[in-house]
Amino acid sequence: MQKFAPSILVLALSAALAGCQDKGPQKDKVNIDKNPYPSTYKAMPATATLITNATVLTGTGERLDSADVYIVDGKISQIGVDLNVQADTTVDAQGKWVTPGIIDVHSHLGAYPSPAVESHQDGNEMVSPNTAQVWVEHSVWPQDPGFNRAREGGITTLQILPGSANLFGGRSVTLKNVPAHTMQGMKFPDAPYGLKMACGENPKRVYGAKGVAPYTRMGNMAGYRQAWIEATEYKRAWERYEQEYAAGMNPDAPKRDIRLDTLRGVLDGEILIHNHCYKAEEMAMMIDLGKEFNYHSGTFHHGIEAYKVADLLAENGNCAALWPDWWGFKMEAYDMVQENVAIVDAVKNSCAVVHSDSDTTIQRLNQEAGKVMYTANQKGFNLKEQDAIKWITYNAAKSLGVADKTGSLEQGKQADVVIWDKNPFSVYAKAEHVYIDGAKVYDRKDEKYQAVSDFMLGQR
Amino acid sequence: MTKLKLSMITGALLASSAAFAQVTAITGVTVHTATEQGTLNNATVLIEDGKIKAINPENVTANETINANGLVLTPGFIGSMNQLGLVEVGAVANSRDASDEKAGLDFDPSYAFNARSSLIPYARKGGITQSVVSPVNYDGAYQGLAFTANLSGEFDSVTDKHTAFVIYLGAKSKGSRALSFQQFIEKLEGQKAKLAKKDDKKDDKKDADKPSGEERVLTQLLNGEMPVVISASRAADIVQIIKLKAEYGLDIIISGAADAVLLADELAKAEIPVIVSAVSNLPSDFDAMHATLENASKLEKAGVKVLLTIAGDSSHNLYQLRFDAGIAVSNGMSYNSAIKAVTSNVADAFAIDGGKIAVGQPADLVLWSADPFELSTTVEKMWINGEEVTTESRHDKLRERYTTDSELPRAYTK
Repeated sequence: MQKFAPSILVLALSAALAGCQDKGPQKDKVNIDKNPYPSTYKAMPATATLITNATVLTGTGERLDSADVYIVDGKISQIGVDLNVQADTTVDAQGKWVTPGIIDVHSHLGAYPSPAVESHQDGNEMVSPNTAQVWVEHSVWPQDPGFNRAREGGITTLQILPGSANLFGGRSVTLKNVPAHTMQGMKFPDAPYGLKMACGENPKRVYGAKGVAPYTRMGNMAGYRQAWIEATEYKRAWERYEQEYAAGMNPDAPKRDIRLDTLRGVLDGEILIHNHCYKAEEMAMMIDLGKEFNYHSGTFHHGIEAYKVADLLAENGNCAALWPDWWGFKMEAYDMVQENVAIVDAVKNSCAVVHSDSDTTIQRLNQEAGKVMYTANQKGFNLKEQDAIKWITYNAAKSLGVADKTGSLEQGKQADVVIWDKNPFSVYAKAEHVYIDGAKVYDRKDEKYQAVSDFMLGQR
Repeated sequence: MTKLKLSMITGALLASSAAFAQVTAITGVTVHTATEQGTLNNATVLIEDGKIKAINPENVTANETINANGLVLTPGFIGSMNQLGLVEVGAVANSRDASDEKAGLDFDPSYAFNARSSLIPYARKGGITQSVVSPVNYDGAYQGLAFTANLSGEFDSVTDKHTAFVIYLGAKSKGSRALSFQQFIEKLEGQKAKLAKKDDKKDDKKDADKPSGEERVLTQLLNGEMPVVISASRAADIVQIIKLKAEYGLDIIISGAADAVLLADELAKAEIPVIVSAVSNLPSDFDAMHATLENASKLEKAGVKVLLTIAGDSSHNLYQLRFDAGIAVSNGMSYNSAIKAVTSNVADAFAIDGGKIAVGQPADLVLWSADPFELSTTVEKMWINGEEVTTESRHDKLRERYTTDSELPRAYTK
């Protein structure tokens, strides 16, 4: 807040003096580099691969029996029965199931890695309720052995989020789950950034205990609103600068603020909201908060009470990323129902997602989705495998803004694919092969394709 | 859920006299006994007076017969090392009773057990019929006494107050684990010396000083009358623990045991059971560099008695135990060993009743729609001490409220 005041002044001055300034030659335009830490990801070596005779769940709600999946140049080329194509590698998947690569929209791998020692606590900048300036990608340790374990469970894409201590926790990053020794080597090309926000108990507990705002839930709301007001002014200041510069004037650029850059990115529709928010009444208000400041309220994570506002979520185009059964660890997690995901999913235009928030359950999101499907079906729902797979593939991709690239087996999409040894919604199911951009990145039966983190090498 | 399908109920009223106790027969069922009998197909199990009266009797005389053709019967699953009944909401301080900074080595949390906790019916959804409940102490080595409770939800459900002594001897964020070992050994030595002295002077004063709670616990440990659960994971620590058993004759169970796999043969030889999570496969710290999904299986195959427990929030998530057992099976554990790891191995290690389908055992039974470890399977019916219990919890009431149409606000749907 204090930081912003001078730049407003500068602006006012520059506007007043514009008449003098626009006579001289224009200064160099100040441009903000929106991608200063770009992805260096390159797909691993791939061959044209034909997977034959599998039960295929496309991720778009379809199930194909005895079908083939043909992968060329890292993309899904064709899907169908008895494809007549030339492949370098043919995988007989008789009796096996094929799904899109699994996507976890809520992970802290790399930022809260294993081993969980003091030196590795890099996921939560708990010094101020608004740390929109931090980017979690700057914390990601690519040697976290958890990435390899997750890949063995079929995870091909994952979003790493900062923690939930702050109202604004910072930027998230979406990664391709390939082994790399830099974060940028994993960074999903052209995936939008996310902004982590948090409702409820965590921010008010962390800051209230220090005697600073927010101390209450109403303090949380005040904190968000104040920040969006600042961000709106910041956006306006930059837009005025751009307009005046374009008009041939010679304005001074507003003072750069990386915290406000992130919030402005949301207002510009470039950064997606990922909101840790458990309770029905809070989700409802967060939707309206977005309307108050002209941004979309994005995906609600951990929405334990999403089932109470399923209609509202669908009407407003919000995804809800949920656990099948975690509960009771705090008051806002008390009203869990095991059918939460199914109830959210049952509404037209909904976007139900199953997430992990765990280095353990990320290894079996298929089973997490399975728990929901079976429990809900016992209570009168009629969900099938082709429905449940969407919660951990297509809908997850939609939540992350990458559904045009991955999340389903459709022609032209990135060939992120898992071959399961059986129905993936069985407790006994295992991923046998995992492909990312058409390249085999994991093979349960071939050590050549089993990556080992630097950290685990040579330990005995 | 609570109601049986009509086809399953065949009310056979044979004994008309009230003088006969109620006998329930479960027929045509696949029984995982969790004993040396293994699995019995198309079997009949008789329940009377809260106990298992007979298995495959020649003549079946029962008041109620449940035709359980195609269904599966197991002993009720047994949880361990959780805080069931000692916590309602993790972050709500006054709903927690599993620890107290003033507690001593003989801390007995069973006084605080809340049989009406909402966690109990929820855990029953996973076929859990009893649990060994443990205190926790994040600041020190001595945790206190674990107790056993059944999941009936009745006020008298604590069945054994002093099931085990629990101690943590693993990595410390402040100080050295060496001191924890050293101080525990000092206590054992001190009590051993006291007992020896007492034996010498048997005939002197009849009434020596009444032993303190701590002394009573240590005496029970030294006499092998109560197991001690040592929570530790690093292989080097487990070597020390095996020595403790040899030196003091303690009845030791190791909990955590992430790297126990490096000492599988030694643990089998020392007859030390281990309590492990089937899903813990990350190097959470330098004590757990060898955690893999195959560890439970490797330990079992080496002859170690394996008990499965839930990692993380083991109280609220206790119902998941059956899924963890399935994961152990899919990573190499034999099916019957996995059944035992959540039933008879727990009962045997802690010397408590239950966990087996055998004549004379308490009728803690679960009738499953199919393989109890599979995600698609449900509890059809369950009993604790022969009494049928429901799997309905407040979670079901919430679901019903929000999936039932009403013109009035939801609050009127009850």
